[in-house]
Amino acid sequence: MLESFEILTTSGVVLWSKSYTPVGPHVVNSLINDVFIEEKAHLQNTTNSASPIFRKEKYTLKWRRSKDFNLIFVAVYQSLLHLGWIDKLLDNISTIFIDLYKDQLKSERARVVEYPFDKYFNQQVRELEDNATAGLDSPETPAGVVAARKDPLVSSDNGGPPPPTVPGLSRAQPEAALGAATSDEGSPPQTPDISRTSTPTSNHILTAKGGPGGRVSRRQRKAAIATAYASSGDEKARKGKIPKSGKKLRKWDADGLADEDDGRVLDYSAPAGEEDTSASAVEAVAEDSWGRRTGKGQFVLKDLGDEVHSILENADSEKTKSSAPSGLVGSGFSAIGGLLRNIVGGKVLSAADLEKPLKAMEDHLLKKNIAREAAVRLCDGVKQELVGKKTGNFQSVDASLKSAMESSLRKILTPTTSLDLLREIDTVTNPKNKQATPRPYVISIVGVNGVGKSTNLGKICYFLLQNNFRVLIAACDTFRSGAVEQLRVHARNLKELSTRENVGEVELYEKGYGKDAANVAKDAVEYGAANKFDVVLIDTAGRRHNDQRLMSSLEKFAKFANPDKIFMVGEALVGTDSVMQARNFNQAFGTGRNLDGFIISKCDTVGDMVGTLVSMVHATGIPIVFLGVGQHYGDLRGLSVPWAVNLLMK
Amino acid sequence: MTSHSNWELFEAVATKLLEGSALGIAVAVIITFGVPVLLHYIFYRAVASPPSSNFLLLGPSGAGKTALVNLLEVKSSFAATPKSHPTHTSQTTTLATVRLPVSVPIASNKYRSVNDPSLKEGHRNQIKYRVRDTPGHGKLRGSQGLSELLSMSTSKDTKLKLRGVIFMVDTAAISEAEALRDAASYLYDVLLVLQKRALNLGKSSLKAAAEIPVLIAANKQDLFTALPPGSVREKLEGEIDRIRKSKSKGLMDASADAGGAEGEDDILGSYDVKDTFTFKEFEDEIGIKIELAGGAVKGDDEGAIGAGVRRWEEWVGQRL
Repeated sequence: MLESFEILTTSGVVLWSKSYTPVGPHVVNSLINDVFIEEKAHLQNTTNSASPIFRKEKYTLKWRRSKDFNLIFVAVYQSLLHLGWIDKLLDNISTIFIDLYKDQLKSERARVVEYPFDKYFNQQVRELEDNATAGLDSPETPAGVVAARKDPLVSSDNGGPPPPTVPGLSRAQPEAALGAATSDEGSPPQTPDISRTSTPTSNHILTAKGGPGGRVSRRQRKAAIATAYASSGDEKARKGKIPKSGKKLRKWDADGLADEDDGRVLDYSAPAGEEDTSASAVEAVAEDSWGRRTGKGQFVLKDLGDEVHSILENADSEKTKSSAPSGLVGSGFSAIGGLLRNIVGGKVLSAADLEKPLKAMEDHLLKKNIAREAAVRLCDGVKQELVGKKTGNFQSVDASLKSAMESSLRKILTPTTSLDLLREIDTVTNPKNKQATPRPYVISIVGVNGVGKSTNLGKICYFLLQNNFRVLIAACDTFRSGAVEQLRVHARNLKELSTRENVGEVELYEKGYGKDAANVAKDAVEYGAANKFDVVLIDTAGRRHNDQRLMSSLEKFAKFANPDKIFMVGEALVGTDSVMQARNFNQAFGTGRNLDGFIISKCDTVGDMVGTLVSMVHATGIPIVFLGVGQHYGDLRGLSVPWAVNLLMK
Repeated sequence: MTSHSNWELFEAVATKLLEGSALGIAVAVIITFGVPVLLHYIFYRAVASPPSSNFLLLGPSGAGKTALVNLLEVKSSFAATPKSHPTHTSQTTTLATVRLPVSVPIASNKYRSVNDPSLKEGHRNQIKYRVRDTPGHGKLRGSQGLSELLSMSTSKDTKLKLRGVIFMVDTAAISEAEALRDAASYLYDVLLVLQKRALNLGKSSLKAAAEIPVLIAANKQDLFTALPPGSVREKLEGEIDRIRKSKSKGLMDASADAGGAEGEDDILGSYDVKDTFTFKEFEDEIGIKIELAGGAVKGDDEGAIGAGVRRWEEWVGQRL
């Protein structure tokens, strides 16, 4: 069953929520963090329903966004259960909520006022659950029915302030009487529920209470089901009931009305006058709705249902109206209006408006060397963000698209936590608390052949030397001929530079060729610890990312050397392949270990086509740490997001 | 012909008005008394609308910014039973107009006598101020928090004038190194923006720059694991000092090649990195006041709602 349902604004305030069991706020928070802000969660699209889901711990979350009101509707339920009606519930609830509280949501006080939405919600849940369980004879039916049965009571208990008058309400009322005979689910379902939970006498009272004549046949059917539960399905039903009873009691306690309301619902034989006086004593405002309810039995609930239905129907009809093509004249007018709006602004964007500019934008991104996959996803994200939005004053579609894309790029490139390498090294080598023993900080560098691993290692080494660290370079490329010699040259040059500038110290750790790289790395780290080095830089052999044999050795390497940071070097020249490179390397270190950052080399060779930055971050959500911008040791730079976005949008 | 008749009509009306009839007198009276009132309203609206005082709420995610804004909003609404909503991670900024409670002293009232009747009138027109809540998530800081700070602090428009920055910190989480580093590096960025502004103002014009003071709101003091404000200050100072040292040695951005040397502007506080960083010294050198006050957004159920934010409101009152 549903665990909790929340309606919150994008600014983070929960406007209305209902939880059946306490769900920690971190569940929804992680949905916001991972899906909306970082966009890193790879959403599993269920096969038939298009709506994405997000799993956290034992919960599954589904959501809807309303762009006009900046609202998010989130439903949380246990992953074990398969609830097919959640999508429908989200759709309906979002429509109803927005329709009911349109004015309040637009006002300044939207974040302050209370939203008495409980009964609309309960009505929807009950209806959808009933629909879902009606035709099913699956073993989980009793539990589902029990859950459904519980809600009518709750909704009649709450009895919040009277619903705001809705235009559709008065029109719908005549139908209520008709509908009562055919589709009233309100009163009969209470029978099994109460017979099990409260005193046995209540069963007697309920059967004594006669419904309106039109319902008799249906009541008989229901009664038959109820007795079936009571006799044959008794054990099953109890099993489903026991864990839930405590929950239910808790909720009633919160309402603080449980006993009194039980009496009210059940005791229809009592004279209505008494009920009215007690109700008015308790709650003067709601007297009207109370009186009506006691007088006519379940009719108030029925009205609520119809009200809700009319809201939904209105929304549907409006949708079809807007989608249906109007006549020739109308379309001509709208075309002219659209053109005008495009210049003046204030145009509500539709998918059709965006199609052409988006295509152009996609081409532009592809020209900037962004991998196709990333470009398509970026465009889709922007499209989803923009459809249904109004353009600003004197803002064309293109301009609004461009600004949206810019912010989207900025968001993708900005790291969640900025990496300050020097500070991290400092905390590891000179720990503040006494328990931790100082140890060298281990950085290893991986990548495809020829992207510049050794060169960038040299640059990082130079940068660390400038900061007076003692650096050990470990030559773990035991495969390619000349690799160790290459590093030896680097080490010699750097040593000379550092002695000349009188900063830092550097040494090379090498074990020749043919050895197992992981063992060499492990030995190097131990050597570094024994000789009080601050940083150990490990160079690895280049490997093709789609070569399983070579990639699998990385897992052992990560386990043995246990680096603090694993950086992957990717070259800015690479195109579409960058996505797969980043992804494969990210997964190569086994479970629980990922890449920590990218170094994008050869940025000076591509001009403004720095799309690789976006492709790689897009594929993995891992930040870019350094950029290589030249041949010299000093040509290492940090990433500047505005700079990159500027180049990409130029 | 028609014009002639119109003319006659006009003449007739004029004559009628000057005749001393009741209508004429009524029109004259309305004009005599109405026009000054109308003019007063027009000019009063245009001139006397006070420059709204804005406060910017910054801080890492989960510090309690949205909760604070919501609490203040609920408090200043006239709801019978104020009840703040639960909150989640924010994605967008919000601007909320909030009333200052009457009991909180306001800086502009300090020259008034205790017996000044206008102090008594505070109940009728409570001081309003605006608080802008920003998301604290790492990805949104730069694009929403800091850019907001930049635009508000440099804006000429009196409507957007920034009276102060409230930087919220979760004192219960700050004992962990990770949270402390996050908070400190954000605070570092904020102070850097303010410092640049202060220095630029000093350079460009000699007129006294309206300083933007910073309040570090040590939230969640109600929790058992919370650090006291004094030790929060120490921790933040120490961490900012460390950031400063490593920044001074760090790499340049890729944009530095094109933009030219920005020089020493990028380092917070005194140019000599050897000095340790304290808020006090920062105030002396740059002229940006940093205060620190403890409080709690939640956890005061038995008392009046929002009793824990009293000290922050007092700070806000001192800035008005």
